[in-house]
Amino acid sequence: MAEWVTIGSASTVPEGEVMSFGAGSRQVAIANVEGDLHAFDDVCTHQQCSLAEGDLDGTTIECPCHGSQFDVTTGEAVHGPAVDPVDVFQSKVEDDGLKVLVNDE
Amino acid sequence: MTTFVVVGAGVAGGTAAAKLREEGFDGNVVLIGAEDVAPYERPPLSKEYLRGETSEPLYIRDPGFYEENGIDARFGVRAEHVNITDRVIELEGGERVAFDQAVVATGARNRRPPIEGLDLENVFDLRYLPDSDAIREAAKNGSKAVMVGMGFIGAEVAASLRQLGLDVTVVEFFGTPLERVLGPTIGGAIESLHRDHGVEMIFRDGAERFEGNGRFEAMVTKEGRRIEGDFAVVGVGVEPVTDVATDGLTVDNGIPVDATLKTEAEGVWAIGDVARHDHPVFGPIRVEHFDNGMKMGEHVAKNLLSANAVFDDAHWFWSDQYDAEIQMSGFATEWDDMVVRGSIEDRSFSAFLLKDGQLLSTFSMNRKFDVRRSMPLIATKAHPERAKLEDPEFDLRELHPPKE
Repeated sequence: MAEWVTIGSASTVPEGEVMSFGAGSRQVAIANVEGDLHAFDDVCTHQQCSLAEGDLDGTTIECPCHGSQFDVTTGEAVHGPAVDPVDVFQSKVEDDGLKVLVNDE
Repeated sequence: MTTFVVVGAGVAGGTAAAKLREEGFDGNVVLIGAEDVAPYERPPLSKEYLRGETSEPLYIRDPGFYEENGIDARFGVRAEHVNITDRVIELEGGERVAFDQAVVATGARNRRPPIEGLDLENVFDLRYLPDSDAIREAAKNGSKAVMVGMGFIGAEVAASLRQLGLDVTVVEFFGTPLERVLGPTIGGAIESLHRDHGVEMIFRDGAERFEGNGRFEAMVTKEGRRIEGDFAVVGVGVEPVTDVATDGLTVDNGIPVDATLKTEAEGVWAIGDVARHDHPVFGPIRVEHFDNGMKMGEHVAKNLLSANAVFDDAHWFWSDQYDAEIQMSGFATEWDDMVVRGSIEDRSFSAFLLKDGQLLSTFSMNRKFDVRRSMPLIATKAHPERAKLEDPEFDLRELHPPKE
């Protein structure tokens, strides 16, 4: 069942940065692209590295292990070796809390 | 209907065939591979897969992908000739597959040095899935491995076998691991990593013969050492598989292709380990990395569909050894300056290789960002200031060319 989980304050993730948070049973990455927050599964679908440790370029996050690239707005794998997309989640700022809507895996 | 035939089903060929469909090509796609298995990633074969941390190959696409996407995949079938005159691929057994355009992606095979006893049981090399299975099985039943060669494959296998608890002794022709390609400073850092993890390394020596009664018992070196063990692993490099190029295709350290991956024969392309590519930055080079195979596969698919684009990737690979993350980008056979950022002693450093001030290649141990952030600089022949390269706090992205 999906539920809203508070993972930090609204100002936690600086613009142009990506950070990783535990949310329920998931590890969720939050990317701040020009002030818009995008939440996605932090675990690369290729060999399970943390995507939040990679470089964010526009809306593309690059896995630091093997170079897979994902669009943080859709989760789509835009460059291999990963083929499968990562899950994306809704996020919102409420009472200065940063919240994501996650369902358990 | 138009038919594209991909000869070779490693990462390059498999990616090319898959990408043709993913780009919307609705003609015939034939994928011919000598291995009796769908295309898979080879890098884990010396790492996670060899250590038994995963039991399944890491397929580049789900094995069902090819049938589901109408790709005529022939796995376990060897192609014998690319017949340019008749525009057919001749398969073992005599079948002929006509093509409008063909992609040669036959890869490389391990060098088999003329060492007496190389055919003994329990003398292994590593390239294919069954090789990794065999070494893993031998490691389960043994406690002592004897190895020849400390290139990347040798270093990764040595690390994995140590992680499995085996004693490992390696003989290496040069003075450090990877000295020929990386020089003695970086080679020395890799040597120290392996020494601290208990690998016994013997340099400036080589295998003279393997001894055993049908089955490996000991290696005798050129310098007269006798090293006993339960099994041996030989890793002394690869050579391109150019056997199919019998008619109208030149062979010269691989199959030469222009910057767009075209061979000299109309409608015939070559990619991956077998391709000697006229790179816009590095000149003619043949590259044996997984990432290059994948990217050339993607690229050639677009060019088959008339993109006609130059392949200008700066090249990149990784090599995990123990807890050390090693990466490298670019390509350099000679350099006149090496700038180090971080600490070699602490195994947290990047080494920038320059010639006449131009950044050609970046190597890192546990500083992986520098390597990938170097790629746009290498691709644009940048001449970065030494002080900026040396400064661990300086973000190389500040030097990237502006986005188009």
